[in-house]
Order: sequence, then C-alpha cells, then structure tokens
Amino acid sequence: MNIKKTLKALSDAPGIGCIRSASEIAKKELSRYAEVSTTDNLGIIGRIPGKSDRTLMIEAHIDEIGFIVTAVDDKGFLTVSTCGGIDLRALPSRQVDIHGKRTVRGVFCSTPPHLSEGDITFDKISDMKIDSCLGESAKDVISVGDYVTFCTKSRELAGDLICGKSFDDRAGICVLLELASRFSKKTPPLNLAFCLSDMEEIGLRGAKTATYGISPDEAIAIDVSFGDGPEIDPNDCGKIGKGAMIGVSPIIDREISDKLIRIAAESEIPYQTEVMSSRTGTDADTISLNKNGVRTGLVSIPLRNMHTDCEIISVSDITRVCDLLENYIEGGGLND
Amino acid sequence: MTDMIRELALLDATSGDEKAVRDHIISKIKPYCDIKTDALGNMIAFKKGKKTPAKKIMLDAHMDEVGFIITHITKDGFLRFKPVGGINTSALMFKTVLINGKTAGVISGKPIHLTKDEECKKLPDADKLYIDIGAKSGEEAERILTVGDRGVMVSDFTVSGKNIISKALDDRIGCAILIKLIEEYGEYDFTAVFSVQEEVGLRGAKTATYAVNPDAAIILESTTAADIADVPEDKTVCRLGGGAAVSFMDRATVYDREYYAAAMNSGIPVQPKSAATGGNNAGSVHLSGEGVRTIAISVPCRYIHSSSSVANTDDIRAAYDLAKYMIGYIANDK
Repeated sequence: MNIKKTLKALSDAPGIGCIRSASEIAKKELSRYAEVSTTDNLGIIGRIPGKSDRTLMIEAHIDEIGFIVTAVDDKGFLTVSTCGGIDLRALPSRQVDIHGKRTVRGVFCSTPPHLSEGDITFDKISDMKIDSCLGESAKDVISVGDYVTFCTKSRELAGDLICGKSFDDRAGICVLLELASRFSKKTPPLNLAFCLSDMEEIGLRGAKTATYGISPDEAIAIDVSFGDGPEIDPNDCGKIGKGAMIGVSPIIDREISDKLIRIAAESEIPYQTEVMSSRTGTDADTISLNKNGVRTGLVSIPLRNMHTDCEIISVSDITRVCDLLENYIEGGGLND
Repeated sequence: MTDMIRELALLDATSGDEKAVRDHIISKIKPYCDIKTDALGNMIAFKKGKKTPAKKIMLDAHMDEVGFIITHITKDGFLRFKPVGGINTSALMFKTVLINGKTAGVISGKPIHLTKDEECKKLPDADKLYIDIGAKSGEEAERILTVGDRGVMVSDFTVSGKNIISKALDDRIGCAILIKLIEEYGEYDFTAVFSVQEEVGLRGAKTATYAVNPDAAIILESTTAADIADVPEDKTVCRLGGGAAVSFMDRATVYDREYYAAAMNSGIPVQPKSAATGGNNAGSVHLSGEGVRTIAISVPCRYIHSSSSVANTDDIRAAYDLAKYMIGYIANDK
C-alpha cells in the first residue's frame, strides 16, 4: 500500500456523523486485505485470523472534528455547534464545506476592520457565523443538523512532511490499513481485529461499543499526539520525524509499553516515549474499560497544529509505527 | 469575466513582488495597446479610442495583494514573518501558504489543547506565529528560500451561485475589469495603470500618476462589505448584490462631488460606500501634480484581506458598466 497516497485520500475526504466518504475509502482498502464487517453503525471492523485463540485489537478513529448546523437565518448565515475541540480564534475567514442537500463552500464570518477596534474575545462558537454564500436560498440547501467540515486538500512540504485537514486520526487509520496489508500475506501468531471506530472526537464513543463487540484479549490504540514547534514547551510534545511515540501512563498496560519500547530498541526503529499522568484523551481510555477490562497500549504519531485544517505529519513516522506494530504482532503480542 | 478573475486571483503577487500578475496582464492586453513599465513595476498602457477627449483620463487597478515577508529563519528550520498589508491575526492563524509561488508551508502555532484557559479567548500576538515548511534545520530551510522572500495564503477559487470565493479578489477584480475595458471599450482614449504596492501605502499609484499626468481618474477597487450576520444596518458600508459601490469620502480621499453624483444618477445598479473608512489609490492619485478629479468604483467584498473574500458577479458587471459610463461622462464633461 502506498501510505502517502492513501493518507492524502483519507484526509481529503470528509468523515463526520452521517458523512462517510472517508469510511468508504478506508473500507474499500481494508476489504482488500481482511474480512470486513460494519458493526453497530459506529465503526468498521476488519479481521485476519491468526494461529492462536487470542485476539489483538488495533484501533484508530475514522471521524474528524467539525461542526453541526443549529440554525439557518434568512440571509444565509449559519449558527453551528462544534463537534470536537476547535480553536475559535482561527475560524474567522476560514473556508468550510457545508454538507447540505449538496455540498457547498462556506466562509466563517470575520469582523470587518472598521468594527474590530479593541480586543476581540472568542468566548463561544454561537457568536461565530458561517456565511453559506447562498443568501436567501440557503434554506433550500441547508438544514439544521447538517454537518460542516474543513475542506483543505493535503499538500506536500519539504522532506517527507505533508499537511492536511484530518491526519488526526486518518494517519492512525493508515497504520491499520498498512498492517492489514502486511499481514494479508502471512498468518499472524494471534487473531487481528482492525477497528476503525467513530465518534472519538465527541467523547471516545465508537471505540466503546466496537470493543464490546470484538471483546479483544489485548488492544493497542493508534492516534496522534503533539509535535514540536518554537512556541511549544518541549515537555508538552514529541518531535516530528523522530518516530513513534510510545505511550506510558497509569491507564496504559505497563507490560505493553515496555515490550513496545524493547522491540523498538532491539529492531532499531526510531521511537520516543510519551509519558502521561492519567487519562490519555485517546480511545485507549475507553477501550481499557471494556467488560472486565482489556490490557491496552497506545502508540501515537507526532503531529503539528492538531485540530486545525493544516495538521502536519511525517510519512516516515507513520511507516515507523507500522514497523513497530508489525514486530509487536510477529512477537505474539503480550503472550510471547 | 469570472474566468479572467479566476486566472488572476490564483496568481501570487505580494506588494513589491507583482511580476506574476504583471506578466499575465501583459499577455492579455498586448494586442490592444502600448505598454510601458516604470521603475517601481507599474504598468502603464495607453488604449487608443475612436475619439480623443479634452480631458486625459486614467483608470487604475492595483496588482498587489496582502501577504507576508520572511524575516528570520530559526536554527530548527522554522520561519518568522511579518504581514505585508493589513491582515488580522485570525486570518493568518493556521493557514496554508505558498512562498515564492512554489514552496508550501503552514502558518503554525500552539494547538488549542496546549493553550491555557484565558489565553484561548484572545488572539495571540502575531509574533508568536511561525511558518513551517517541513525543513528539519535552518540550513535545509536556507537551501529552499531566504529572508526577504514573500508569500501568500492559498485558497481555492469557488463559484457559488452568483458569488465567488477566493483570495486576492482585492484587487484582481479591478484588474480584470480594466483588462476587459481595454479589450472591449473603444469610444474614447484612456490610459490604464496596473499599479504596484497599494497595500503598503498607495505607493505605486503615486509615481504612475506623475508619469501619466491625467486630468481625471477612475479607481477600480474592491471594498469592505459588512452585510454579514450580527452587524447593524448602519455599519454595513455596502452590500453584496447591491451594485457597484461609489465612495464620497474615505480616510485618504474626499472624492469629486460631481463625479460621485453622476455615478449615483447613472441608472446602473450602484450604492454609496456609506462609511468614511478605508482608503485606496485615490489617496495618491487625487493629490498628484496640481490635483486630479477622482472617482472610486468598488466591488463590495466580504472578508476582504483574507484568503476567503466573497464578491458578487452582478456587482462586478455593474462596476464594469459604471466605469465605461464614467469614461463617457468625463470625456463629455465641460
């Protein structure tokens, strides 16, 4: 599988609520390598049977941040609510796709210069409006409950970095697809369940029901975490291009963390550790609480500008996460 | 006309770096007129008509757009920059950019998750933003570009019903109208100026007007339309779909009263620019030499000076018609 090409296609596609373009792309790719089922409307599961009875679930979320329309006025301006954590300060003059009866391009209103004297405060999303650019005919196309997504197309930067709107967590999805591709040609030591879950950004929901259905013996969540930059405290971030961020936290299984670190060191796969003191803010938090508990790990890919429409990621970091996970699976997971 | 605006708007031309737009315009107007380029890069084109009016008439549209200039490259390969022209920090934050027309980057900063309580309600200092082009070190970045290089925020060009959405509508719409006039209007002689450096202080128009030495001038512009949600009626300035906006006064110019009245009575869809805010090349043009009688015809534009300006094609048509009408009016004015 061409990771860069797949990542671009996945990121450029919208995927929120009932807008499932990204899911469709992922599902098509996954079904080339694994037996695919769609569970409980919250996610996609791909299975590759292994040599033992144990099941390892590898999980990433398919949904992205966005907005939902809560009102449409007579002049074509929309009031929206956020789906996921969004920096309101960066919204003015940002373009979005409004998924109504047809998809139309909109623009977040910005305060005109003659009215912006003094400091503007960004308190709540309901203060900000989207110009549908449709004027009075907006109501013919857009209804409350319609979804709105960012709309930038991914672009290549220097080296192997690319920017795009939803590498969080389509990069994780890419890892799942690549692993499925690698194990479609060989039988893994244990059953693999690839879980592409929904509704992470609105409260780690899809992973809850999907994990219940899969009932794995162990699980590893693949997500993104903060990448470095001049204004970012080095203690708060990993370094882009320096490999997988292996999560260590009270909610993460210590043995999985240790084994991942050992494998990375032995196989000379570049890695960094990400130590957290409690919940991780990823699906690992919810997966570990499934039924009577699941031993769960977390591997993150460093990402700059998280939750913006120009997130930046390194393709080699994604490849290294794939290499690390491939080795971990080859090693039989926890049960070696 | 929309296709011509699309071609022009998708070119990058920060103030002082207008070559891409200038070359494109030359390729369009070359068959129709004599072209000169002055020391600053202004392009002055004389279009011969059937008749030579008693008054020498100049039309101006500026080629430059707002953007940024690279001021420093960090040892880690990030770029510090300053805005070129008036840009709100919101319009810069987390935007995809293109430097030198070829190097992609992202104006980056601290993600919302790492921003503490009150900090996330206020705009950051523009100095806290930086551009990430993917370079791993200062040396790598310096192999790609250098301080002093310019760039712009990128945008798609979208047609949505009667509206267009794009970067640089200020003032590529004016450029497109002026090109169209050169191609189509043949009644009276006029001199077209495609000027530089408007966004950094109406500079190009100063030297171009000196060279042309006109009796009367028509400025083709775009102007703030604040007809958006939550703005009271008296602060809207002008509205999309309301016709060409004609200025009576702004912060740089008190306009010729007679020309203003003639435009408002032209029968073409027009609206007053009903606020004395902003400014355009008229500020330089009307003070040139012994003074130049000047009118500004603007296309209303929402979210101006951002990568997502919105304008209405009926208004663009009206601005074109009004420019044509005003050439005739000035030519026949005693």
